[in-house]
Amino acid sequence: MPLDTSTYDLALLRVDGRRWNELRRLDGQIRTQAAADGSSYLEMGNTKVMCVVSGPSEDKRRGQTSASTATGSNAADVAVSVVVAGFSSVDRKKRGRGDKRIQELQTTISKALASNLHTHLYPRSTISISLNVLSQDGSLLAALINASTLALIDAGIPMTDYLVACTAGSTSSYAANDDRADPLVDLNNQEEQELPFLTMATLGATDKVAVLVCESRVQVSRLEGMMAAAADACKGVRDFLDQVIREKGHKMVTEGTIEKGASMAIEIDA
Amino acid sequence: MPREAEPSLNERAFVVQALQEGLRLDGRAFDQFRGLDLKFGDHYGVADVTLGKTRVLANVSAEVTAPYIDRPFDGIFTITTELSPMASPAFEVNRPTETEVLLSRLLEKTVRRSNALDTESLCLIAGQKCWSIRVDLHVLSHDGNLIDGSCLAVVAALRHFRRPDTSIEGETLTVYTPAEREPVPLSWLHSPFCITFSFYGEEGEIMLLDATLLEEQLRVSSCIISLNKHGEICQIAKLGGTPVEAVSLIQCASAALTKGKELSTLLDQKLAEDSKRRDKGGLLAELSAENER
Amino acid sequence: MAQQTERIFVLPGDQINPSVIPSHPKRPLKLGPGLRHIPPSELLPTVAGQLVTDYKKNSIWVEYNGGRYIPAVGDLVIGTVARSVVDYYYVTLSDYTSNAALPQLAFEMATKKTRPQLNPGALVYARVTLANRHMDPELECVSATSGKAEGLGPLNGGMLYDISLGMARRLLMRKSVEEGKVVVLEELGSAGLAFETAVGRNGKMWVNSESTKTVLLVGRAVQETDEKNLDAEQQKKLVRKLVKEMS
Repeated sequence: MPLDTSTYDLALLRVDGRRWNELRRLDGQIRTQAAADGSSYLEMGNTKVMCVVSGPSEDKRRGQTSASTATGSNAADVAVSVVVAGFSSVDRKKRGRGDKRIQELQTTISKALASNLHTHLYPRSTISISLNVLSQDGSLLAALINASTLALIDAGIPMTDYLVACTAGSTSSYAANDDRADPLVDLNNQEEQELPFLTMATLGATDKVAVLVCESRVQVSRLEGMMAAAADACKGVRDFLDQVIREKGHKMVTEGTIEKGASMAIEIDA
Repeated sequence: MPREAEPSLNERAFVVQALQEGLRLDGRAFDQFRGLDLKFGDHYGVADVTLGKTRVLANVSAEVTAPYIDRPFDGIFTITTELSPMASPAFEVNRPTETEVLLSRLLEKTVRRSNALDTESLCLIAGQKCWSIRVDLHVLSHDGNLIDGSCLAVVAALRHFRRPDTSIEGETLTVYTPAEREPVPLSWLHSPFCITFSFYGEEGEIMLLDATLLEEQLRVSSCIISLNKHGEICQIAKLGGTPVEAVSLIQCASAALTKGKELSTLLDQKLAEDSKRRDKGGLLAELSAENER
Repeated sequence: MAQQTERIFVLPGDQINPSVIPSHPKRPLKLGPGLRHIPPSELLPTVAGQLVTDYKKNSIWVEYNGGRYIPAVGDLVIGTVARSVVDYYYVTLSDYTSNAALPQLAFEMATKKTRPQLNPGALVYARVTLANRHMDPELECVSATSGKAEGLGPLNGGMLYDISLGMARRLLMRKSVEEGKVVVLEELGSAGLAFETAVGRNGKMWVNSESTKTVLLVGRAVQETDEKNLDAEQQKKLVRKLVKEMS
């Protein structure tokens, strides 16, 4: 179903009434699952994901035979599994375990987080992150990355900075080579179908790019504008995540829910 | 499952040290490719790409089948990759490694999703008959930079391929043998090329093109950019790894464009050479025979 | 007395002419790699290559290039430490083969308290002490008789290069220049480069030097000599070319 992007030029408003640099409504919670080491729930518009982190825990499988520990890297593994619920999108689609798109998502998230987390503090162990997609409405990879960041903070695993992600697109399709193409941020499903877009994850408020994924055709000259818009949007997302964490922390202090043991959950070896 | 052999600490330290001094193990410049060779087979649709010690072979085949029910007007186009133990003992048959999954996803995104091949042109009778084009990619030897080599092989093989000509009269579909009618090339829209960048150093400030296997094992992150000579990006994949400054990624994109144009010229040239070679006894001889009459 | 070693091409399972087999009155016959002794007195080649005999040492072996390294007692090898367990390091000699065991006390001056600490990924220069079929080989980094390292031990810094097994053997010959026809290292040395090397029979060469450029140059020179099978004159030419490029 073609999306009528022509109205954008008139009112500078997108199909859902947002301006170009406006994020959708964000809603986040942490420590949603009592049984997990860390957990989070994140909504970016109608994209809803849940994340559960367990670990770092000693890996039992890693005996004599296996081991990335065998040479060189004496750091924890980050194992990510993404489950997309059958009811998450409009048409019910069954995605198998071997789906290459899901595997690619998992690898991307795992590699991005592994370079951000201080995995060397946990030799011979595994941090397992399981992500559940409850509802899809665009910016899926971005939502997954943001949710895992929240859950990892909840789990108390030391990291360099927030790893935050957002999508950015460009109005007008690849064929038209007009200079007036405006970048858009945080695309929904309808816009993703129609416009070229990329997903970018940055480290906190810096311009350092951990993940950059683009799957649609777009002019090279358009790239810079889109990346700049995405970087700005990432800063907005970072502020939001920070706020979620701080509010939760504040609440825990005022309610006195911080038990004696909780603050000692991680012991960094001296 | 056999793991990839990992380089020793000495090698790690030395390679990084050398790169910081601006030197590569094989004496190449940072943005220089290894010796690249592209050969076509005797049959149409076979391309053999050699990149240093890396070698990949792509083979295209076509058959007439029924189209997918949800896409009655489109032909079928599939790319299958096989990383056999022949290339490296770390690969196993029927158990795709991460490398293989990423490679096939990347080719899928670069060639299939970017509409390089016009699948609508493969439709013969809507909803009933269509061409199914299949590319089989075999990695014969693995010494790094599989992605760039594989992408070039796939694109070259597809552009080299000729499918049998067909005609429709009423309800009858005729597929002609090569002897009856000259096979026709696929309807090709644009040629995308993959360029892989490898990053080194604490901040990923050192950037290499066409990394060897050892260099690939030691990189802190990588970024694969696919584009065609018109400057259209088909795909970017920087899947995790050490964060890199946004500015250097934009530099990568423009470097990729230059490299993509080079590859494009090379491919055009090789295709022209090949068709010249084939023409000697073929079409030219036929034409001259007609003139004599 | 035939001083010169004779060379006959053999295939696995070929009959070896008994007249070729050296027979020394006193010394026992020594069998080198690629030959199998079937008692009482039959010798069979197990690989394709050149049959080489040395009458002086009363030894016979098959010379071949390529294939996977199969450890033999007394070979000098360069291994990568894969992991350490109580009292042992497990060392990888070639990729995708089972590891060799190196006792942690088999180093010069090593005692329970002063044994060297090697991390996974470290390189060691060692001698094979035990090599049987279907068993993991064992290594040592100290001479059992003298208690001295004799050049063996951990290798620090430098770069490891893969070379063919034949090249490694040629480099390890006592007279590598005359018999092995490798002059490349001598040429590099006389070109004024300062470097040190260690060659492992398992197809590895370690090169170290103060300057990174020198290491790269030595590595490339040897690898190119190996890959293109250069003769002495071409090796000299190559060295001159590389040295010129560097400066």
